[in-house]
Amino acid sequence: MFGYWDALYFLFVFIIGLILAYLLDQWAKRSGMGTRKTGPGTKIFISSEDPDKVIPGFEHLEGHYTGRNVMWGLTYALKNFFTALRREHTGLLTDYASYLVITTAFVMGVLLIWG
Amino acid sequence: MIQFQFITAFLLIVLGIYAFLAKNNLLKLILALDIIDSGIHLLLISLGYRIELNEIPTAPIYTGYETLKSPMVGPLPQALVLTSIVIGVCVLALAMALTVNAYRHYGTLDVRALRRLRG
Amino acid sequence: MSAEILPYLIIIPLFGAFSMPMVNLAGRKAREAWAVLISGATLAVGSWVFYWVYEKGTVLYTLGAKSPFGQANFPIRIVWEVDLFGALMVLMVTFVAFMAVIYSLGYMRHDTGLDKYYTLIIILELGMLGIAITGDLFNFYVFLEIMSIASYALVAFRNDTWEAIEAGIKYMFVGSVASSLILLGIALLYGEYGTLTMGYLALKLSQNPTIVGKVALALFISGLLFKSGASPVHMWLADAHPAAPSSISAMLSGLVIKIGGIYALARIAFSIYGASVSVKTVGWLIILFACITLIVGNAMAVIQTDMKRLLAYSSVGQIGYILLGIGIGLAAYGSQTGEIALAGAIYHTFNHALMKGLLFLIAGAVIHQLGTRDLNELSGLAKTMPKTTFAFLIGAAAIIGMPPLNGFASKWLIYESSALFNPVLGAIAIIGTAFCTAAYVRVLYTFFGRPSERVMEAKDPEKSMLWPMLILTIAIIVMGLFPWGISDKVMIPAAKALENQLAYVATLMGGG
Repeated sequence: MFGYWDALYFLFVFIIGLILAYLLDQWAKRSGMGTRKTGPGTKIFISSEDPDKVIPGFEHLEGHYTGRNVMWGLTYALKNFFTALRREHTGLLTDYASYLVITTAFVMGVLLIWG
Repeated sequence: MIQFQFITAFLLIVLGIYAFLAKNNLLKLILALDIIDSGIHLLLISLGYRIELNEIPTAPIYTGYETLKSPMVGPLPQALVLTSIVIGVCVLALAMALTVNAYRHYGTLDVRALRRLRG
Repeated sequence: MSAEILPYLIIIPLFGAFSMPMVNLAGRKAREAWAVLISGATLAVGSWVFYWVYEKGTVLYTLGAKSPFGQANFPIRIVWEVDLFGALMVLMVTFVAFMAVIYSLGYMRHDTGLDKYYTLIIILELGMLGIAITGDLFNFYVFLEIMSIASYALVAFRNDTWEAIEAGIKYMFVGSVASSLILLGIALLYGEYGTLTMGYLALKLSQNPTIVGKVALALFISGLLFKSGASPVHMWLADAHPAAPSSISAMLSGLVIKIGGIYALARIAFSIYGASVSVKTVGWLIILFACITLIVGNAMAVIQTDMKRLLAYSSVGQIGYILLGIGIGLAAYGSQTGEIALAGAIYHTFNHALMKGLLFLIAGAVIHQLGTRDLNELSGLAKTMPKTTFAFLIGAAAIIGMPPLNGFASKWLIYESSALFNPVLGAIAIIGTAFCTAAYVRVLYTFFGRPSERVMEAKDPEKSMLWPMLILTIAIIVMGLFPWGISDKVMIPAAKALENQLAYVATLMGGG
């Protein structure tokens, strides 16, 4: 039934990947200059957002690193695609109805020609 | 013979769909919905009216069926249309209630004003 | 014994719904107890029906005389026919509806007009159950309209907000046009073939396929694609589902678009038209819509800032997967690939009902605590609402398709069959999942971020809201533990029952 790949392999690969990652981490810790445990070096930057930085005028968002910018790369790369999709969703009732009528006409045409 | 009732029914349906797409007033959209429904009801009810042997069919009353000479109208479409009319009334009542509420919130019945939800 | 219990699936909710205003006179406690009792009893009957159908095969129930005119088995009466696919849907509807009713006890406590709310929610359940068990086209239309009208009213339930009214109007007006198209299709079929019973109609259609039958099929497909929220007619869904109260959003996204759209589409395409149109054309048509839906729904979810709107768009995307499975099942009709795809679609329908139900209930809990659903203001919920966040983590992982959870198995079946059928479709499905992952990762980052002042006073919701969420989480985890067992024992037989048009017709003719 599962021609290409048994789903169990997925789990095995996942577990092996975890072990590999752990070993790599250990190896890096041993051979590196040592890991900082305190101080500003431990700060986490999610999507290059500095949690302690205060931007004038945006104090109300100060320091909450939210999901706002997480997929920034994806959103920016596909900006035109997303803008087109947003523009299509006009919110006009008659537009929704026209999409329904167009879909009906399309389906009917296809079925009458090739059905 | 040309069956005018079918042509009328499809004209009503197309008319209703055109009005639904072209008009912007919510009340007119409700009227358009009703016209589409009426067209379908007309189509359904005229399906039961089958002229066989050039005789005018009579009402479907099964009492004394054996002595009846002329054919009967199909009783099933009438039951279907009755059910469908009830459903249509339900839809219309709810649509009007929503329209009243929309007027309270937006101060207009123009459907182009109801587009705060988008994107 | 078997068929006699079937009407109670309709009788119990109908009685419960319309006696609700009277029970309401006895006070709030009586009303809530009555709602839980009625939906619980329906769940019991639904599980029993599923068990019976699973053990004994397809059930046929006749309303009215079994042999009108004294002739044996003349198919003129209204019949209800439940095969394994329908029984699975019955189980799904009763289970998630029961959870939603329990959740509403806490969630809706501060609203007014609750007798109407509980009446409508039980009528909604009734309409969906009717669609799942019916074997008659007009009966199907009546139940579809019962379900649709109840859901229109429930979307606009909080009529003191502009959002609910606007969403309700958009959903209702266009939805009524879609229903009218379906009714027109039924009228055309009745005029051509003179019957409304699905099995008998299938027989007559295969003997004499006509243009009228194809036009009717086109009307059915477009109307039901609208009801299931496929793109490009998905826009009402993204507006309507977030505007409803969250317990209703869970039922709308989890159940209504499946039963009123997917189930009806599959039933009509397979059981009525299976032998009389080119299944390849219909299949590719549905695959085309599925691919558009898959990409558009999941992509739009990535850029939303409103939590419930994100979930609604994600529903659109998941409907794309289910449609893809059904489309491949049609286009590869009769081969093993088609069967696996169909089983995957049915499996994903069931799983998505659980997952999206859970996610919308969580969104409701967050709104109940914080009064906002803007993702930019929700950072750091994990500190103050740990149980809710855990449930969200499980639900999100399941909907993305992480291996130990139930979403993985169903998505895997769909990926595998689409890759076997046509590798391009498999690639499109994977791209859709990439977008889906991006959307949910954004929400998870928000939840695990640094707490803002706003979330500091939030806490986990009360028991009546927490328990349905926990039960759904446990169901997701437990179903994830036995993925292939469930697939082989339930989903593949259900797909076979749906595919086997001859058996469907034979049950009607022989077992009447």
